[in-house]
This record gives sequence, structure tokens and C-alpha cells, in this order.
Amino acid sequence: MTPHQVNPSSVSNSCICRYFRVLFIPANQQNECKQNFVGSSRQGSLQHRYLQLDQEKKQMELSHKRARFELEKAAADRTEHEVDRNQDLLGRIKKLEERETDAAKNLTEKEEANRSLRKNLDGLNKKLEERDARLNTANQTISSCMDEIRELKQKSQNQEFTISSQTLENQELQEQLDLQRRKYQEVSQLCQSLQAAQSSCSVHLTKIKELERRLALQEQDIAIVKTVKSEVAKVPDLEKELKRLREDNSFLRESRENCSLLKEEVEGLRKKLERMEKIKEELVNMEIEKERLTEKLQAWENLGQSSGLNIRKPEDLSREVNQIQQREIALKEQNYTLNSRVRSVERSQSELRAELTQQRGKTLEEQKKRETQDSLVRRLQNRVLLLTKERDGMRSILGSYDSEFAPTEYSPQLSKRLREAEDVLQKTQHHNAELEAQLTKAQEETGSLKLQLQAVELELESVKKQQTSAADGSSSAAKEEVSTLRQKIEELEAERQRLEEQNNILEMRLERHNLQGDYDPAKTRVLHFKMNPTSLAKQERQQEVESLREEVTSLRELVRSLQEGGAVAHTQDYSCVSGVSLSMPPSKEVLDLRKQMASSELRNQRLKEVFRKKIQEFRTVCYLLTGYQIDITTENQYRLTSVYAEHMDDSLLFKKSSSSGSMQLMETEFSKTLGEMVTLHLHHQKSIPAFLSAVTLDLFSRQTMI
Amino acid sequence: MTSTLKGITLKGSAELVAEFFSFGINSILYQRGIYPPETFTRVTHYDMSLQLTTDPKLKNYLTNVVSQLKEWLFECTVQKLVLVITCLETNEVLERWQFDIECDKSAKESSAPREKSIKTIQEEIRSVIRQITATVTFLPLLETPCAFDLLVYTDKDLEVPEKWEESGPQIIDQSEEVRLRSFTTSIHKVNSMVAYKRTDSV
Repeated sequence: MTPHQVNPSSVSNSCICRYFRVLFIPANQQNECKQNFVGSSRQGSLQHRYLQLDQEKKQMELSHKRARFELEKAAADRTEHEVDRNQDLLGRIKKLEERETDAAKNLTEKEEANRSLRKNLDGLNKKLEERDARLNTANQTISSCMDEIRELKQKSQNQEFTISSQTLENQELQEQLDLQRRKYQEVSQLCQSLQAAQSSCSVHLTKIKELERRLALQEQDIAIVKTVKSEVAKVPDLEKELKRLREDNSFLRESRENCSLLKEEVEGLRKKLERMEKIKEELVNMEIEKERLTEKLQAWENLGQSSGLNIRKPEDLSREVNQIQQREIALKEQNYTLNSRVRSVERSQSELRAELTQQRGKTLEEQKKRETQDSLVRRLQNRVLLLTKERDGMRSILGSYDSEFAPTEYSPQLSKRLREAEDVLQKTQHHNAELEAQLTKAQEETGSLKLQLQAVELELESVKKQQTSAADGSSSAAKEEVSTLRQKIEELEAERQRLEEQNNILEMRLERHNLQGDYDPAKTRVLHFKMNPTSLAKQERQQEVESLREEVTSLRELVRSLQEGGAVAHTQDYSCVSGVSLSMPPSKEVLDLRKQMASSELRNQRLKEVFRKKIQEFRTVCYLLTGYQIDITTENQYRLTSVYAEHMDDSLLFKKSSSSGSMQLMETEFSKTLGEMVTLHLHHQKSIPAFLSAVTLDLFSRQTMI
Repeated sequence: MTSTLKGITLKGSAELVAEFFSFGINSILYQRGIYPPETFTRVTHYDMSLQLTTDPKLKNYLTNVVSQLKEWLFECTVQKLVLVITCLETNEVLERWQFDIECDKSAKESSAPREKSIKTIQEEIRSVIRQITATVTFLPLLETPCAFDLLVYTDKDLEVPEKWEESGPQIIDQSEEVRLRSFTTSIHKVNSMVAYKRTDSV
């Protein structure tokens, strides 16, 4: 029940506050604007309000008293009721009493506030009185001002008079002014001419000065000129020389240009010459070749002449060759025919030989016959001789007979006998003639046979000749041979090409090998300097490797000994390994440093812990004492969270301005709800602690209310 | 230089070629980074700026080799000069700069100077050295520490001088070859080429 009773008082309290604020703001405005005429009416309203407020205050006091009365009454009632009840309520009562005391406190506070408000009111009254006094003085000044205005009006009338008179004067003066102006213009023209004259004068003066200066200079110059003249006398000579030199110069320039041109020309000519030399060489080669070719040609022509063929051109040659081939073919055919003929001739020859042998046998027979005939003829001649002798003998006998006998005596018988003898003779003669005819016949026959033989022999010889000529000319066998030979040549040619290709490939390979650095050990030997950089570098490398190896082994031993550990090993190491003594001191140092580092780290950590502890302590103390937890969100920004905050997020943000060092409240969701306190404590009182305390109290009161 | 501007003698040719080798070897060593670049100094020769070593050991070695080479060039007994670049870690031959030398042995008998001006010879030499410089663009990078050696291919009947010994040809296994320009003094003709180890990555 009690809190509800307390509440209206607090509400009314806040109401009062609001009224005061309302009062304040217009008063300020009044102060600032000095509207004197409105003051009286306002004063009336203020007084009215003041009365109202007084009444309200009285009411409030009454209600206060009433409330207190009622509270006491209720308490008394309660105590009466609660004596009978159990003692559990006693705790409550105590709490309530505490609250009562709080309320009492509040009351006192509010009374104080009332007092202060009263004071304010008094102050305001005083101010109002002051303003009244000011208004009175202002009214007085207004009346005095009105008097002054009147005086001023009179003065202005007087002045108007004076002005009219002055305007008249003015006109006169203006006329005068015009005159003066004209005069002035004239004067100014004169003045200008004068100034021009003066300026020209000054110019002339400066000119004169300059001329004087020049004169002086000229005098000096004359002195110089005199000296120069003597030199000038030399000038023509010098000019001549100059001319000459210029000419020389131009000539030299020209000659230089010429020279460069010539040089270029020379360069060109040199190049040309080189080309010409090359060409010359080529020409010589060409001539040599030409001679070679002419020789060849000559040889060909000679060949042509010697062979009697009209070979002048390769076409002729080919034609000739064609002809020759054709001829050869024809000859071949002829040869074949001749061969066949030869064979037939041979055959006929063999036949003829057989015939010849037959004929020879015949001739032999004939010769035998002839011999027999000859012998027969001889015998017959002998017989003829005998017979003639016999005949002669007979005739002589017959003569003798005739002589002895008269031709008449013997007659028939003798004549008979004679006749008979004559017949026989005739017969033998006849026979002889026959034999002779036979002989001539045989002889003729042998002659004819001989002729025949000779003919046959001739024929044989001719056949033989033919045979030999056929053997010479006939190329049937040779032709075959030639064709086989040609085939062979072709084969050989093909083989040669193949071999050439192979040779090329092998040469290429050889070249490649040569490029790779291969060589013929039979002809070449490869040398290099003994102390070459490669071998030196290799040696160095090997040495380095060896030294490194030694070091590694020594270090390994050292490691092993160290692993075996102990000071004993240490001392041994000192004595036996020289490198160890070098390596040990730094390790000691390192150990020392490490210890130092560890100790410093430890110290640091301890300090950190102490700081942390202290900070925590400080923060908790601050929190407990001020009721605010202060956090730093970002730089120069502090977040304050009250102990009594209704929500976790309710916080105030302060920013420390870097320039002035003062703190400024930033807007948050929570600070928006505290507009009144902000205006009161921050805008008027300008005290952050007061604001914070007010907030604390506010929040605390809210908490206690629930 | 003993030779006149007009012609060139055997001696002059040998000197010219030896000089070319000296500069050529120096510029290869510089370009291929066999020796650190700060040990080289800039020198103007053949109307172009060249790098010469200042390393005393290397200088001594090069003067030794080049003077001997000059002698052989004069005798016309040298066939090839090879600069071999070897990897020190694997002892593998990575590059071979080969200079085939063709000697005109007839110049030994007749002492008449040949008609070729030093200017044109130097121009040829300049283009060869330019090409050596340009080869760096396609040669594979030498990533490992390397050393070099100079091999001289001579005639078989030559007497091996003191401080010299026989060596193998140091052929690269699986190489790519590139022919470079050549130049001739009309007595010595120098064909240059470079062979380098083929990299599998390409």
C-alpha cells in the first residue's frame, strides 16, 4: 500500500519541475528580448501563476501532511493487527519501515527542492521589479525624446530657410563655377602645353646631357681612334689577308667537300674495284673454261672434220648419231644377211671343196690317162716312126724292085701291095690323127679343168676374204657384247650413285662427329694444359670435400662424446679436439643469455599478473563505489553500465574530445530515455558526475519500486 | 702487328688468330658466367667493347695457352681449339665451343703476304664475337658451378711440350650443335661452332 501512496507525491514533484522549466525558458527569452511595453501584462500573468503555484504548494503540503497522517494511521493499524499475527511479518514491517525512511528522505529532498524553487521565485520577483524600474526610466526618456524632436523640427524649419537661401547662393556660385571651369579649362590647356614644353625641355636636357656624355665619349673615342687609325692602316693588309684566307677557307671547304665526295667516290670505286676484281677472277675462270670449251669444241670439230661428218652443233651430232645408229641397224641387218650368206657360202664352199677334191681326183685320173695317152702317143709315134721307116724301107725295097723290074712287070702284085701298104698307112695315119685329136681333147680337158680349178680357187679365196671381212665388219657378236657391256655399265652407274649417296651420308655423319668433337686418332692428338682451371677446380673441390669430411668426423666424435656427456668428457674434449674449445664458449654464453631471458620473461609475467590483478581490483572497486562499470570500447570512447540497469544493453557512451579533453555524452538507445536529466545536469549544470548520480538514483529508485 | 695494311703474313695471321682466341675465350667465360662478372674489366677492341678477366690465375693460364697456340698456328700444326665447360658436381661436359682451324700450309713455304686487309679480317672477327655473345639467348642456363678447359687438336707428329699432356676429346653425350660464323685471314680459316648438352625438358 505504501508505495502507491508515495507515488503521487513523486509524480506531483516531477510536475512541479516541469512547471519550473516552463517558467524558466520564457523568462530567459524575456531577458534576451527587451520588450518593455509588454512587461506589465506579463507581470500580471506571472503573479497570477505565482498565486496558483502557491495554492498548489499549499495543497501539496496539505496532501503531504495528510499522507503522512494516513501513513502513521495505517502503520498504527497494522501494528495493532500484526501484533496478533505471527512474527514473520516483522521482517516485512522492517522493510517497510526502511522504505518509509526512504520515503522520508525523499520527502526531505523534495522539500529542499521546494525551497530552492521558492528561492528561484524570489529571484524572479526581484527581476520583475528591476524591469518595472527600467520601464519607468524608459518612459521618462521617451518624453524627453519627444521634446527633443520638437526642437529638432524647429531647427529643420530654420535650416530649410537657410537651404533656400543657400540654393540661390549655389546657383550664383554655379555660374561662377562655370566661368571658373572655362578658365580652368583654358588654364589646364595652358598647363598641358607648359607640361609638354617642360617634358620636351627635360627631354632636350637629357639629350644635351647625353650628347655631352657622347662628346666626352667621342673625345675618348677620338683618342682611341687615333690609336686605332694606326692600327687601321694595317687593316687593308689584314683585309687582304682575310680575303685571301677566306678564299683559302672557301677553297678548302670546297676541297673538303670535294674530298668527302672523292672519298665516297673512292669508297664506291673501291667497292667497284673489289667487285671488278671478283668479276675479273670470274672472267679469268670463264676464259679458262671458255678455252677449255673451245678446245673441246675444236676437238669436236676436228672429229667432225676427220670423220668427215658435218658436225657443227650438238643437234648435228645427235642427228649423226641417229644416222649412225640407223646405219648400224642397217649394217646389222646387212651383217645378218651377210652372215647367212657366209654360212651358205661356207656351205657351198665345203661343197665346192668336195667337188674340188673330186675334180682333183678326176684331174689326177685325167693326168694319168693323159700320161698313159702320152706314153701311148709316144709309143704310137715311135710306131709311126717305125712304120714310116718300115714304109720307107718298103718303098726303097719297092723302088729297088721297081728298078729291077720294069714298072710293067711287076705291076698288079706290087701295086696291090702298095695299095695295101698305102691303106695301112692311111689307116695308121688316120689312127694317129684320131689319137692326136684324142690327146688335144684330153689336153683341152685338163686346161679346162685347170681353169675350173683356178676359178674354184679364186672363188675360195674370195669366199675366204669375204669370211674375214665378215669377221671384221660383222658386229653381231660384238653387238651382243656391247649390249651386255652397256648393261654392265648401267649397273655400275647405279652402283656408283648408290655408293655416292652412301658416301654423302657417311660424310655427313663424319661432319657431325667432327662437330661433336670426334677426331682421327691416327692423325690427330688432343692436348691440354696440365694446370687447366677444370683440374684445378676439381682438386680444390676434392680438398674441400676431404676437409669437410674430416670436420664431419671430428664433429661426430664430439657429438658422441657430448651425448656420453658429463664434465669428464668435456675436459677430454678440451684436450683432444682443438675445434671443440672454439665451439664451447658461445654455448656457455648462450646458456647464460637463455637464463637471463627466462628470468626476465618470468619477471614480465609476474608483473603482468600483478597488473592484471590490480586492474581487476581497481575496476571492481570503481564498480562498487560509483555503481558504474566502465569499459573502453574504442579509443577515446567509454561505455558506462550502471549496476542498476534494467537491461544488459542499457549503457551510456562518453567520448573524450581530443582537443579540449572534456567528455561528451554520445547518443544511445538508453540516453534517449534520459532527455530530462541530460538537459538538466549536462546543459545547465554542466556536471557529468551529477548526471551520472541522477541516473544512478533514477535507476535505483526504479529497481526499488518493483 | 707485323703485317702491313695491304697484306698479311703467316706470322701476322697467327698473331691475329691467337688474339681472336684470347678475346673469344674471355667473352665466352664472361657470357656463360664461368667466372663472376666483377672479375672482368671492360676493354675496347675490334671497335667494340669486350670483357677481359682480371683474375691473375686465369690471366696467367690464358697467356700460357695462347702463346703456345700462337707457336702452333705459326707452324700450322693445330687443327682445332676447343673450350670445354664441365659441371664440377657431376663431371659432365655441358658445353663445347669448337674452333676448327684450317691452315693453308702453302703459306709456310712462300713468304709472300696475302692480299686481305686487317680491317676486313677484324670485321669478320667482330661478327663472330657478336654471335658468341648472342648465343647466350638460346644456350641452356648453367645452374651448377662449372669450370672450363682448353683442348688443342694438333697433328700427330707434334712433340708434346712441357706442361702439356694428352687428353680425351671430352665429347658431350647427346648434344645439339650450332654452327657459328667463320672468318679467315686467307692463311688460317677459323670455323666456330658450339655444342651443348640437350636438355630433356625442351
